[in-house]
Amino acid sequence: MADALSGSPAAAVQTKAGAVLLVRAGIVAAVLIAWQAIAASGLLYRDVVPSLPALARALLQLAVDPVFYSNLAVTLGEAALALAIGGLSGFAVGLLLGASRFLAGAYEPFVYYLGPTPKIIFFPVMIMWFGVGAGSKVAMGALSCFFPIAISVAAGMREVDAVLIRVGRSFRATPLQLLTTIYLPAMRRPIVNGVRLGLGVAIIGTLLAETKLSNRGLGYLVIQTYTTFNMPRMYALLIAVFVLAIGANALMGRLAGPLRFER
Amino acid sequence: MAQSSEPLLVVDDLVKEFRTPEGSLTALERIAFSVREGEFVSVIGPSGCGKSTLFNIIGGLIGGFHGQVTIAGAPVSGPHAAIGMVFQEESTFPWRTVVENVAFPLEIQGMPKAKRLARARHFIALVGLEGFEQRYPFELSGGMRQRVAIARTLAFEPKILLMDEPFGALDEQTRLLLGDKVLQIQQELKQTTLLITHSIAEAVQLSDRVVVMTYRPGRVKRIVDVDLPRPRTLDLVGSEAFGRYTAEIWNDLREETSRGMREAEARVRGAPGPR
Repeated sequence: MADALSGSPAAAVQTKAGAVLLVRAGIVAAVLIAWQAIAASGLLYRDVVPSLPALARALLQLAVDPVFYSNLAVTLGEAALALAIGGLSGFAVGLLLGASRFLAGAYEPFVYYLGPTPKIIFFPVMIMWFGVGAGSKVAMGALSCFFPIAISVAAGMREVDAVLIRVGRSFRATPLQLLTTIYLPAMRRPIVNGVRLGLGVAIIGTLLAETKLSNRGLGYLVIQTYTTFNMPRMYALLIAVFVLAIGANALMGRLAGPLRFER
Repeated sequence: MAQSSEPLLVVDDLVKEFRTPEGSLTALERIAFSVREGEFVSVIGPSGCGKSTLFNIIGGLIGGFHGQVTIAGAPVSGPHAAIGMVFQEESTFPWRTVVENVAFPLEIQGMPKAKRLARARHFIALVGLEGFEQRYPFELSGGMRQRVAIARTLAFEPKILLMDEPFGALDEQTRLLLGDKVLQIQQELKQTTLLITHSIAEAVQLSDRVVVMTYRPGRVKRIVDVDLPRPRTLDLVGSEAFGRYTAEIWNDLREETSRGMREAEARVRGAPGPR
């Protein structure tokens, strides 16, 4: 008797995919229901957890608010500039550390130990150096993403298969040719992963700096809505930032996906 | 075959020492042999005899040796335009197609794109891989990838083709067939070839002369003239004459290989075990 038990492998996969989708929808639904229950219950002070309709209204208002978009542009601009500055310098330093065993021995410990320290403690220094405007935010973002990119590039360079370098040398390639025709293509994956990580921390660094001291940007908007106790709008902003982060990650995921020449 | 009176490659009194924590290690001791234009010479020896070191020295990738290595009279002091190397390991660039791989040495030399891709196609056809130009290495078998590596080195048009156990990772049957293919190409191009191998059958099948090396420190034990008729068809592999040469070389090697095994065991026995 042909039934679900004796179904084809394709059918089994479909059922499984369907089950996964159902579970995901279920989780989302559960969260929404719980949220609304807490909001309506009166357990917490008014608007600490706004009701779903209030949240939806705030989201819609945000979506058509030019103030939101102008501040979003500020944050994105700062993060992009931070990634460019931190990324390029991290890339250059990574290449140097990867290429020279001597330099690596000398400088890599600094990079490794400074890497995980929370960069936010440097913010007051950044304000003194770059002012209270966009400069200090970009500096924070750049400082944050410099380290993961430098480390990924240095490690990626060392992992390049040695025989490929010997091939290049045997054909009398110059060091620049070795870099452009062999090292860089071979390091595509570590570089992309480093940039992906860097993008994330650049956004974090920029946003965090904006929440500390700023009069523009999404971080600033969040603090402003918080101090005026406009909770629904604040939550709406948080959701917007969340979506921004997911979007950036998804974009990098596309770029980092399986390349043409890999299985 | 018309040959110039001077040999193309001369290795004379070559000594290479490595400094290790245990002291100085002599890898190669007073190696001397030469290769004439158009010749196919194999270097055979047990593992640990320094064959790969010799390969890297002649190719100009390792320096710091005593003695002489000259090509057409000029001493080797780095990768040389007259030497093309084929490595033992997987060496095709995974991110390039077959034709882009083979065109690589021409790209390094600055040849314009259309011209170098056309020349690459010529060498791809030579190794029997027409139709695979747009494939990536991951789509090919190991033997096909080695053929791509060989085509790439041939595209460099070196005076001397230097190969380090290019078929080492392949099974016996594929080895024989590919060896045959390389021989065909060598005969057609009159390509001077120096092959490093540990396979006696391969050395006798392909070469005009076989240089037999000792175990470390690597010395030239004997140079055997392989006086078999050309073309060396695969039927020749089973013939009596072939067997005689193989036995002769095996006699030389057996002693060296045994010594190598004994010394390796002694090293392990002497070394302290894991704590």
